[in-house]
Amino acid sequence: MLSKTLAVAVLCLTVLGLQAGSPERSVIQILTFSQQPQFDSPWRSDNVRRSGGSGFVIKGRKIITNAHVIAWAKQILVRRYQDPRPFQARVAYAGNDCDLAILEVEDPSFFDGLEPLEFGDLPAVRSAVVTCGYPAGGEQISFTRGVVSRIEVQNYAHPGNRFLLAVQTDAAINPGNSGGPVLQDDKVVGVAFQGVPGLENAGFFIPPEVIRHFLKDIEDGKYTGFPEAGINLVPLQNPAYRRFLGLPEDGVGARVDSLRPGGPAEKLLKKDDVVLEIAGYPVGSDGTVLYRDNRVSGSILFQTVQNGETVKLKVWRDRKPIEVEVPVAVYQGDRLAGNQYDVPPRYLIYGGLVFTPLSADYLRTLGRDRPDASSSALFYELYYRRSEDPGGARSEPVVLSTVLAHPANANLRVRGKVLVNRINGVRIDCLEDVAQALGQKKEGAHVIEFAGQDGFECLEREASAQATPQVLETYGISSDRRL
Amino acid sequence: MTRPLLLLLLLIAGLAPVSSAEAVWEKSVVTVEVTFKDYDFFQPWNTPTRSVRKHGLYIGGQEIVTTAQYLPTETLVRLQKGGRGKWYPAKVVWFDPHADLAVITSEDPEFWVGLRPARLAKAIPQAQDFNLIRWKDGNLESRRVEFSKFTVKDGSLSFAPRLTLELNTDLGGLGWAEPVMLNGTVAGLTTSKGGNTCNVVPAPFIRQILEARAKGRYPGMGYFDFVWEPGENPTTLEHLGLKGPGRGAIVIRVPNRPGVDPVLKPRDLLLEVDGFPIDVAGDYLDPQYGHLLLENLSSRGHLAGDMVRMKVLRDGMETNISYVLPKAEYHDDLVPRELFDHPPEYVVAGGLVFQALDQPFLRGWGEDWRRRAPFRLQHYQNGSPTAERPSLVLLSNVLPDPVNVGYQEARFLVVDRINGRRISTLADVVEALKDPKDGVHRVEFMKGDTLQSLLLDAASMDQATQRVIRRYGLPAAQRITEPAAKTKTQGTMG
Repeated sequence: MLSKTLAVAVLCLTVLGLQAGSPERSVIQILTFSQQPQFDSPWRSDNVRRSGGSGFVIKGRKIITNAHVIAWAKQILVRRYQDPRPFQARVAYAGNDCDLAILEVEDPSFFDGLEPLEFGDLPAVRSAVVTCGYPAGGEQISFTRGVVSRIEVQNYAHPGNRFLLAVQTDAAINPGNSGGPVLQDDKVVGVAFQGVPGLENAGFFIPPEVIRHFLKDIEDGKYTGFPEAGINLVPLQNPAYRRFLGLPEDGVGARVDSLRPGGPAEKLLKKDDVVLEIAGYPVGSDGTVLYRDNRVSGSILFQTVQNGETVKLKVWRDRKPIEVEVPVAVYQGDRLAGNQYDVPPRYLIYGGLVFTPLSADYLRTLGRDRPDASSSALFYELYYRRSEDPGGARSEPVVLSTVLAHPANANLRVRGKVLVNRINGVRIDCLEDVAQALGQKKEGAHVIEFAGQDGFECLEREASAQATPQVLETYGISSDRRL
Repeated sequence: MTRPLLLLLLLIAGLAPVSSAEAVWEKSVVTVEVTFKDYDFFQPWNTPTRSVRKHGLYIGGQEIVTTAQYLPTETLVRLQKGGRGKWYPAKVVWFDPHADLAVITSEDPEFWVGLRPARLAKAIPQAQDFNLIRWKDGNLESRRVEFSKFTVKDGSLSFAPRLTLELNTDLGGLGWAEPVMLNGTVAGLTTSKGGNTCNVVPAPFIRQILEARAKGRYPGMGYFDFVWEPGENPTTLEHLGLKGPGRGAIVIRVPNRPGVDPVLKPRDLLLEVDGFPIDVAGDYLDPQYGHLLLENLSSRGHLAGDMVRMKVLRDGMETNISYVLPKAEYHDDLVPRELFDHPPEYVVAGGLVFQALDQPFLRGWGEDWRRRAPFRLQHYQNGSPTAERPSLVLLSNVLPDPVNVGYQEARFLVVDRINGRRISTLADVVEALKDPKDGVHRVEFMKGDTLQSLLLDAASMDQATQRVIRRYGLPAAQRITEPAAKTKTQGTMG
């Protein structure tokens, strides 16, 4: 006979079992209303856009999702599993380089009854995973099953110019899945984040290594980012090159081809040093390491530590091994060459001339995926100057984006889309230089020189200064600058 | 004659391929068939050929004039008269791609029988409609084309600007040196067509070039090698010290030519060129052709080496200067636009393929090359040659071989040094490879994010090169034209 007490106990166990085996309850639907700035008219924004994503509850009554789900958000609404009520959320941390973000919900009752999901380890290739989220095509939660196809370093599309470890799966990852958990044995083994156009049955998720790095980074209350050492490591597979350096053909060791000027390793390593080990992992002659049964780029080992920490290297130099401890640091020098988020573009308007930093976002406004003759100088400056001519590189190249028509500037032949070289003889390295160069001129016309073959223009000083407030009023611009 | 009969005759005349008035051109306009080397710049040892047909104009003296396009690399030229029948072997006796003109002759006396020389117009009036003549399906076709304007453009094969007659027509398939006629004379030869605009090299320009050649005094096309911008901003003109009404064009860049002391300086205000006042748009008023870009004054009655008088405002003072027209040479550019004076060069060493970086190589990416060719290689076109680096060499490809294991993916990298020697030409590559250091060849590339250096075993290099030649069917390990053989872009052939 089954007593009433025993029956209740069995029911409780069942309920508990459901909770433990029902991670969908902790998967959150996210609705974002965002507004992107216009980088060529930086005081303006595009129309408000609605987009959907997913997230899940983690320890500390927080939601983790992709940074791209909440980029440029004006309002974020989150909904619980099978709960029609929207709750207001805000961004606590955004790691745009790793496409992860943490949300907090204004109403703490949102988390009542929700269990945080736990993180597992990097899943094995060929093992089964389940993606979970709120993809387009319906309102209810969706599950898809697949296997881990491969584990490699991939370009993270959200920043555009960062390469981190990622896991490929054949489980469907569609718009709206972003930020949702990828589960294995009810533990989170990844955050779904991107697909690759043209690749069928291939979605990518962010592995636990990257997620844990992000969560550790924010423990100090701010997000710093993934560091690097500034080492360009290339395969060392040519027998003659190996012999020349005194190395056997044992498939170990990749060559330092170049070091980023000013980078952490610049003064510690040399060209033609051969890196034999990174953080204790033997480096293959193709530059990869065997990381949890996967051969992946050795660069990931510089990303396993936090900004300012060090990584031990075993290096072959002058025909003998040495130990080198290389500090790693977050590199911001290529920030403008990647996609920017959440910080509105800087600008300065003077006499109707709109100055703004040269960036990948700005170049996109030119409407071409490849440079033409007129934008070639801009592309070179943004993507090549720093590595080819570090001495001539500017910290923040400035473009004359456009000229807002006014009698004071009506005679200017150049109407925008040009790189500014000097103003009144002052080299323009950043937007502040523009303000300073224009402000210090007390007599004669302003002389604005452009890079490339664009020559120079003169601007009548008093008339242009007087024109600025009129231009702001005419074009409905609240401020002449955002510096 | 009754009115209906007259109308019928007119109608018939309009429908006929050629009216009686134009029939005389049958004896002056010939067909030119050119078979030319259409190099494969990704495999420069290959020399495929292609054939085209264009038009030529008999100008007397057993000479046919036509545009230069396709002729600099010809392997076979034939002529046909009357639009049908026998093809006569011919040869190019002179060409200049910068002028986009060539002269052809045939040694077969039969070809010249019945031909009548055409007359090249000395001047062309504006705003007249023209007749375009071409052989089509064995018949001489004459079509009216509408005058658009005179303008100044780069040549089809050259960066040197010259007077160009623009015609408006919806006729397709033009640009094959079809003669354009006006009042019984030849007004020019078509060079290209884009949209409804057909570009014509005008007869006065052709006369100028051919007359200089006939006198044995054709030094080549000259051009203005400085960069200027319009002086349309009164504040800029005032800043430069100009008093009174706006005028002039502003010099913004002057090339630094080795051994040449430039007479112009950046921020000179060009007030007069060759006696013509320059307006703020950079135009002058041509007595025959109206407002034209000042660039035309480099070829209006002038050739390379001529002195052109200029008046500039420099540091607020009017100054007279004498500008000597430099000769248009493809090697004036860091990335030459053409290389008609020699076949594409290459050096294959241990499977590494070295080539000169030039625009024909970039055009190997096809019609859409400006979009498809690697941006970094294209951007070198904006650079200027220097005494230290007058030209560029790139590692264009690697033909896989055991000696180059590890480098198979390396390509499109501009070479900085080999074995410590600075590399500007393929001859430099050959010389540098004679001097390995410590038993290896070290190839270093231009500074950047891409591969910076590679190293090959010197002892096995020659053997590997021979292996690559056999395996990939190359005719030779290298093709380099001696410098003495590529001194001219204009040539006398035969």
